[in-house]
Amino acid sequence: MVRLPYTTALTTLFSYGLLFAFGQLRDFFRKFIDWFKAKNVKGYAPICLGLEDFYVRRLYLRIQDCFGRPIASAPDSWFDVVERYSNDNNKTLQRTSNTTRCLNLGSYNYLGFAAADEYCTPRVIESLKKYSPSTCSVRVDGGTTKLHTELEELVARFVGKPAAILFGMGYVTNSAIIPCLIGKGGLIISDSLNHNSIVNGARGSGATVRVFQHNSPAHLEDVLREQIAGGQPRTHRPWKKIIVIVEGIYSMEGELCKLPEIIAVCKKYKAYTYLDEAHSIGAVGQSGRGVCELLGVDPADVDIMMGTFTKSFGSCGGYIAASKEIIQHLKHSCPAHLYATSMSPPAVQQVISAIKVILGEDGSNRGAQKLARIRENSNFFRSELKKMGFEVLGDNDSPVMPIMLYNPAKIPAFSRECLRQKVAVVTVAFPATPLLLARARICISASHSREDLLKALDVISRVGDLVGIKYFPAEPPKIAEAGHNKLE
Amino acid sequence: MGRRGTSYYVEAAPPVDVNKNTEWFMYPGVWTTYILLLFFAWLLVLSVSGCSPGAAWTVVNLAHFAITYHFFHWKKGTPFAADDQGIYNRLTWWEQIDNGQQLTRNRKFLTVVPVVLYLMASHLTDYEQPMLFLNTVAVLVLVVAKLPNMHKVRIFGINADI
Repeated sequence: MVRLPYTTALTTLFSYGLLFAFGQLRDFFRKFIDWFKAKNVKGYAPICLGLEDFYVRRLYLRIQDCFGRPIASAPDSWFDVVERYSNDNNKTLQRTSNTTRCLNLGSYNYLGFAAADEYCTPRVIESLKKYSPSTCSVRVDGGTTKLHTELEELVARFVGKPAAILFGMGYVTNSAIIPCLIGKGGLIISDSLNHNSIVNGARGSGATVRVFQHNSPAHLEDVLREQIAGGQPRTHRPWKKIIVIVEGIYSMEGELCKLPEIIAVCKKYKAYTYLDEAHSIGAVGQSGRGVCELLGVDPADVDIMMGTFTKSFGSCGGYIAASKEIIQHLKHSCPAHLYATSMSPPAVQQVISAIKVILGEDGSNRGAQKLARIRENSNFFRSELKKMGFEVLGDNDSPVMPIMLYNPAKIPAFSRECLRQKVAVVTVAFPATPLLLARARICISASHSREDLLKALDVISRVGDLVGIKYFPAEPPKIAEAGHNKLE
Repeated sequence: MGRRGTSYYVEAAPPVDVNKNTEWFMYPGVWTTYILLLFFAWLLVLSVSGCSPGAAWTVVNLAHFAITYHFFHWKKGTPFAADDQGIYNRLTWWEQIDNGQQLTRNRKFLTVVPVVLYLMASHLTDYEQPMLFLNTVAVLVLVVAKLPNMHKVRIFGINADI
């Protein structure tokens, strides 16, 4: 639920209308200018119809330099961003060989494992020498090493389920698993703000898909009652099975899912639950075990738990943890397991080492320290931003905090000005977010020190004043209490 | 830095609509923006051409007819068909909004606007001939295109292919 000033809503709609009108005007003139251009593909259908890529050509390309910036070092709390320039108004971008050292507020580096770590990196290099960078094989042929089986057991133990299965890519974990679990005649009820991988998986499965209002157990209950009573479309036969898909932390809102209530509703109506913990595993919870631990839900109540290794563990890939029977079924039927190359062994070793650090099994308490630090950092940063008058979404304890921008012109303004002041932020616009709700998404890491956060707050405050995104009245700065810096 | 007491805040709950092309219409402020745009267009026409108010409303009405017919009832699909796999490629924007549900508040509002424009334009031009005919054609075409019975209907196959 976002609150925005009414005038901002009007001006944002007007800005988008203006951008749309100009884009259409340019397309109109382009049609005449290209009328007599020789076409050497006579007879073939066009790859893109006129309206299909309108958004990409006329809106996205104008601010292309704010997205996809190449980096030249590991995504630690400070990293090198490659400078780019454009000679044709952002239609194409050229890289230079200069880099700028910037503060990294965009990488999903929640626990600081993205750069070299004293426990993980030596072990990863050793496994690279022993197992080589790729298994060059599918899991079922020759691609299952000792590391893979060790990680599957470790993940299952970490998350609290009987068994787990690994995949080489986080996105594929969702989009290839959901079709294996449900098919035509089934019903998928997914949160309206679910990630694109879940949407693709749901569409690919052939089941009927219904959407419930974001994070609203009451609306979920309404949808369940209506669908169970109605049955399958047209035939009205009972549904073969019903799966409800939610996420632990929604990456664009930073909100936690209302898991206990949603599980209660699903149990009442006997629907299966699928929890996508891509952003919450390893980052929230007392010992890093995700939203189940944070919200006090027994992992046995969630039927299928999915997560990725890209965010908190500094690696790549994803996993599914569920009961032994489900994992056995997936191992025999999921194409991502049967036909895709297995995860790279050094990447597997990185996850194993990271989980061992988090659990404290490496013999030190660095894991607990990292978890405490990320909680502290997130809460401090969020409360300071709110005091300055920004509209920040997300719950307490969540390391993802979107700062609302709304107006389309503020997206490149904020992004470019922050880059000039050596802070790299990720801005998100339509279609990853709803049209009116463009935002700059900050991801806090355990490797950010207090000075880094203060510098970031200072820069964001100044840029926020320049760009005009302090939509709420700021709290007046308090008289200095012990240990509290007065920010101006 | 704040605008204490001078901002009126609205709440924007994310609507339950998977179609990103139409979901923006369910946010607060859309109706007001539409009406304000028409009003400012009228002022613009008046200031640029210095004609009578009725003629200005006629110009606004006809421009509104051309633009809304083209974008609501002629253009099909979405501006980012790669993202939603082209499932709306055969539907115009009017057929996509509110998930295809008929007679919702948004649709009733959008049907009323051309009628109100017609009434204002024809009243202020005293129902004189060439303007009255053009205005009537505009309002008839727009209102008929928005009727629930015309959902997914392509008369004589016009605009039927992708």
